[in-house]
Amino acid sequence: MEPLRQLAEDKLKGRKVIAVMSAKGGVGKSVISSLLALSIGKGTLLIDMDVHTMATAKLFGFNSMHNVGKGGLEPFSVGGIGLISLSGVVKDNYVLLPGNNVGKVMESLVAYVNMEGFKTVVFDLPPGLGEELLTLERLTGNRFTSLIVTTPSKVSIKVVEYLVRYLKERRVNGFLVVNMSYFNCGKIVRPFGGIDEAKSLSERYGIPLFEMPIDPSIEEFVGKVQDYRGDLKKSLEKIATSL
Amino acid sequence: MHEWSVADGIVRTVSTWARENNFSEITMVKVGIPSFTFLEVDILKEAFNEIKKGTPLNNSTLEVEFLSASFKCRNCGNSFSEDQVREQLDSIRSEFGEEYPLHLMPALSPSFLSCLRCGSHDLVVEVQDIMVKEVEVKGHGTIKTVS
Repeated sequence: MEPLRQLAEDKLKGRKVIAVMSAKGGVGKSVISSLLALSIGKGTLLIDMDVHTMATAKLFGFNSMHNVGKGGLEPFSVGGIGLISLSGVVKDNYVLLPGNNVGKVMESLVAYVNMEGFKTVVFDLPPGLGEELLTLERLTGNRFTSLIVTTPSKVSIKVVEYLVRYLKERRVNGFLVVNMSYFNCGKIVRPFGGIDEAKSLSERYGIPLFEMPIDPSIEEFVGKVQDYRGDLKKSLEKIATSL
Repeated sequence: MHEWSVADGIVRTVSTWARENNFSEITMVKVGIPSFTFLEVDILKEAFNEIKKGTPLNNSTLEVEFLSASFKCRNCGNSFSEDQVREQLDSIRSEFGEEYPLHLMPALSPSFLSCLRCGSHDLVVEVQDIMVKEVEVKGHGTIKTVS
């Protein structure tokens, strides 16, 4: 019997779970998951499951430790949402773990969070098909909605198809999010190429597609992403209403 | 304070197991805890006694067995004991104080400890989880649980 696993499963029961993921790295998962959680707003808990990079805490500008009370790890409160990151447990130490331990750390992170008052949990997953995805499946019984993030790049879409196919086999509902899809400078331009490949993927697997704009100003909000109000946030607000 | 979450997990796990097996009264729960977590038994028992109320564990006692971890390096094959990395553990506790991360998440140990021979973090840790080892059921005796 594994008490932490039971506790983690129980905490996710009755809550809406959304997982932002990709088979490819560097496509903007942490920015998308942060802005999505902020768009859903009050009652949303964002959990950074990328335990090796802990990028979400950096986007929000947190470098302090989580308080621990009788209810467990207290989320940071920011922009009307809660945020949990392993960086609030290990400070600025690097995290380097054998695969089996990654799942156990993820289970602990979910099990120990005080989720009182949160109706929705948004997970920011690391890239790839690995232990993190398997752990999420174990803890939720596959009851989650996936936002699969790609860029228009042909190689990204080819790699992401593995994940789309896997989630389809596992009957997990999903959306395809094409990040950095277009730039609006009075007219729509596509510096990273068209989205025909992404549309084809969306149609073949029957998953809705959302395009995200390129907004270079997002870089100015690293450390204070909760203050960003630009076009990317507006696009994610539209997705938030359809989840 | 984190002991309250551990107690919550123990009560939930054994309650679920009791319901699934139609056991109405549990009289004893024995848990194994990695000793390098430095969990406080008094707080754990206080939390257990509070949380168990109204569950099949209402009349149960909690027994705690602290277990020493052993480590094997996958990089060079070296094996070593918890006592041999005592200096490293003390250094982590000294850095973090009450917020000692291995207290909260023992599975983080390979990230904070390194092989005494080659320095690698590629460590397999035996005994790194909190586990329910035995449950005593009224009328059925002691049942060893499978991890």
